[in-house]
Amino acid sequence: MVFLELLFVNVAQAQSTYQFGALPSLNINNKFQNGWSLNSKVESRQLMKSGNFNENSNTEYKYVLTDFSFITAKKIGLNSRIAGGYLFRLRETEIFHRFIQQYTIVQKMNGFRLAHRFSSDQTFSNGEKPEFRLRYRITSEIPLNGESVDPKEFYIKLNNEYINSWQGTDYDFEIRLVPLLGYDITDNNKIEVGLDYRVNSFLNNNTRHSFWLSLNWFIEI
Amino acid sequence: MFRKIIIVMIFLMFGLCSNYLFAQQKYEKESRIKPKDVPSKAMNFIDSINLKNRVKWYLEEGLETKSIEAKFKYNSKKYSVEFDTLGNIEDAEIEIKWDEMQTPFKDSISSQLKKDCLKQKIVKVQIQYSGTSSEILSKLRENKTSGNLTIKYEVVVRCKSKDTVVLFEYLFNKKAQVLSRSEIIFKNSSHLEY
Repeated sequence: MVFLELLFVNVAQAQSTYQFGALPSLNINNKFQNGWSLNSKVESRQLMKSGNFNENSNTEYKYVLTDFSFITAKKIGLNSRIAGGYLFRLRETEIFHRFIQQYTIVQKMNGFRLAHRFSSDQTFSNGEKPEFRLRYRITSEIPLNGESVDPKEFYIKLNNEYINSWQGTDYDFEIRLVPLLGYDITDNNKIEVGLDYRVNSFLNNNTRHSFWLSLNWFIEI
Repeated sequence: MFRKIIIVMIFLMFGLCSNYLFAQQKYEKESRIKPKDVPSKAMNFIDSINLKNRVKWYLEEGLETKSIEAKFKYNSKKYSVEFDTLGNIEDAEIEIKWDEMQTPFKDSISSQLKKDCLKQKIVKVQIQYSGTSSEILSKLRENKTSGNLTIKYEVVVRCKSKDTVVLFEYLFNKKAQVLSRSEIIFKNSSHLEY
């Protein structure tokens, strides 16, 4: 609540910028023996509109970046996993290298599922100072028919993530809210569409809002 | 150069798709149904128990089977009564606490679980009654156990082995002998984790 209040005061009083675009992703999860798995993901960011609130905006289409990530995970409990991996980002002429560590736990509740993800990452590139982040994400999956999501059924997925980031002497805090409508095509194929809303830089009075049209395809192998 | 990197990455991702699938998932779909869609024979059976609590109805679909299931609370216990699609009763299950089971019986089950798992934890225990409609009804309504009623125990166990942790569903007979053991496969959750 305090953060939301800070955010709204900030939007009203200071410069706020926004960007709007699309964030399609393909996510492939390979299962191996003894609880091991490998998750490979490609995600691309396309900007369609950006500017300041109450001012002219730029509506020119611009391709921004592509991320490739490979994360290996090991099941350590009935519903929990530890994972580590590498992300490779291509942005214009720059290459970013990110190392990722995470712990996830998925809870089956009465009529929905809840997943908690605790993660940290370290990003390195030639042009920028290294960035270190600590993140927590809570995700709920709510079936729109029955007690669990089954093939040929729709579901609602809600993500809420809090990200602390340190880069040089700078600290930033980002909040993400991602409501999605999902469809379970088969047990191993899911598609999702929704809004990926991100807000950051509000602690230093320069709030940046990002609205991405999120399109996800998950394949389980 | 970037185009080449992107092509290599995409090939790498799809190359990984050729790995073998090690575990087949059992297809089972449970969906809520309205009371008006329940076969009248099944509805009449549940009505004759004179329940005060609400009954939730489900359709369970396997690859080759379909069944109707009624779930409700009665005398502070969770009940689940299964019917075929015509409304003929198949069995009734009552959830009980592990401590409610008799000691020699518990000991026999425990020794079996110790053979199968390095560490184990009982997650759920259900008594399963099968027999004629009137026998099951008198068990549910008046707690009368007829001699012809078949009693089995369904025990869900969290089982830790050397390499991983899995959930097993055991079915025991009245003598605590294992009738079947099947692994409960969780639904995929990579879309919730990544």
